[in-house]
Amino acid sequence: MTEDVINKQRAFGKFLAFLRRPSSRYSLGFLLVAGIVSGVVLWGGFNTALEATNTESFCISCHEMRDNVYPEYKETIHYSNRTGVRATCPDCHVPRDWTYKMIRKAKASKEVWGKLVGTIDTPEKFEAKRLTLARNEWQRMKSSNSIECRNCHSLESMNSEVQKQRARKQHEMAVEDNMTCINCHKGIAHKKPEGMTEEDEDG
Amino acid sequence: MKKSVLASILGSVLCFAASNALAEAPSDWSKIKALDTTLFYPGVSPMEWINKGTEHGGARGMKKGETCMDCHSEEIADMGGKMVSGQKIEPNPIPGKAAAINVKVQAARDDEHLYLRFTWKQPKASGAAKMDTVNPVKIAYMIEAGSKVEMANISGCWSSCHGDARTMPGADDNKTKYVKNGSLANGIFYDLNQWRSGENKAFDGYVAEKRVMEGGQALQSATGKLNGDTWTVEFKRKLAGSDKGDVELKAGQVYNFGFAIHDDNTIGRYHHVSLNFKLGIDSKADIVATKQ
Repeated sequence: MTEDVINKQRAFGKFLAFLRRPSSRYSLGFLLVAGIVSGVVLWGGFNTALEATNTESFCISCHEMRDNVYPEYKETIHYSNRTGVRATCPDCHVPRDWTYKMIRKAKASKEVWGKLVGTIDTPEKFEAKRLTLARNEWQRMKSSNSIECRNCHSLESMNSEVQKQRARKQHEMAVEDNMTCINCHKGIAHKKPEGMTEEDEDG
Repeated sequence: MKKSVLASILGSVLCFAASNALAEAPSDWSKIKALDTTLFYPGVSPMEWINKGTEHGGARGMKKGETCMDCHSEEIADMGGKMVSGQKIEPNPIPGKAAAINVKVQAARDDEHLYLRFTWKQPKASGAAKMDTVNPVKIAYMIEAGSKVEMANISGCWSSCHGDARTMPGADDNKTKYVKNGSLANGIFYDLNQWRSGENKAFDGYVAEKRVMEGGQALQSATGKLNGDTWTVEFKRKLAGSDKGDVELKAGQVYNFGFAIHDDNTIGRYHHVSLNFKLGIDSKADIVATKQ
């Protein structure tokens, strides 16, 4: 073991001893308040940074999203409709529940790597990868029983009388067959990928 | 002796007159219940498209036995509008072509014949180049017995429409309509009757492994006339079937039925088509031929 390593271990040991030693300088109240304030600042800062990555403007700050899927979404009812309700990127693609949100964000670190190495940095590369990306997202939504859809929609809340006949029939079948939203509503906000199979459609 | 001969001759004349009277179309069609429906422009929507879930969301329902009408009966004209404008599945839209045609269908029968009457208002001409230079209008119906043609029970005559048939994009000009596993011998066919306005001629054929326009023995006549802007076409065909592609029509039975109009001098897929119907012979159905 080198002398340098030994010195580092000693320094770490001293730091631990410092943390363990009761304070003789600061009152317990001071420490408590300081801890709470520090916690709020750290936690608030973390959440603020987290939520900053959970916005449409953050998503389309990358040209891969801005130039490919975003223009398609802008043509759909989830972007523009008579009631003025808009579902933005994270509403559909990031879970609301904190735990699942953190898992999704952790997985998104892979997307950061993709960004750095330019996996989908041209329209051609994006199209070549579109089916794979879509399949990943369909599978994620299916495994969560389309929770992001159901944050706003539910079969139970639908008034079938005001639905078109075709939609009414499809939703009746969805209930009968215990299906989830994404089973049918692929391509609802972005164009369907080339090369989709019947298995993709039924899945 | 003379009296008995006279009585016999008189009896024969009366019988002949009576049978002739029985073989006449209804004298007053206004008393026959009519089905009001809409034919629509289908674009490129062959069975291969219908059954492809990635293209047609209803494919899933059809696998479960839902009919075309179950999902689309309230939006037929709207569908025609999307296709005819090129908004959906029509790579070659014809400007000015009608999206849909409202048609009244009536049926009746006597002991030997089925009578079908179609009435519709002539849509405005598109002004496009004439595909069929002889016949401005053609109307045809198909009847299928026993649901032996795959999906005929839910698709009307759609099961004869395929993506590799003439006028479909990239298709062989000589390939006609056909049905999967089509065979007259096995009863897997549609009985096809058509009337063409320019030739003023009736065609009695069938669709099995291919479409055959002539050779049938059931169709007795087809007449059409344009009164003002309203077309009326009447078909008279025997109830009896034959092995020449004629479905036998029996009282108490229901048959799969669909029909189409080639308007505006068109051919092939550029027609207006119905969704699925049932034709009943003295039996409850969408179109019922009741004995007169």
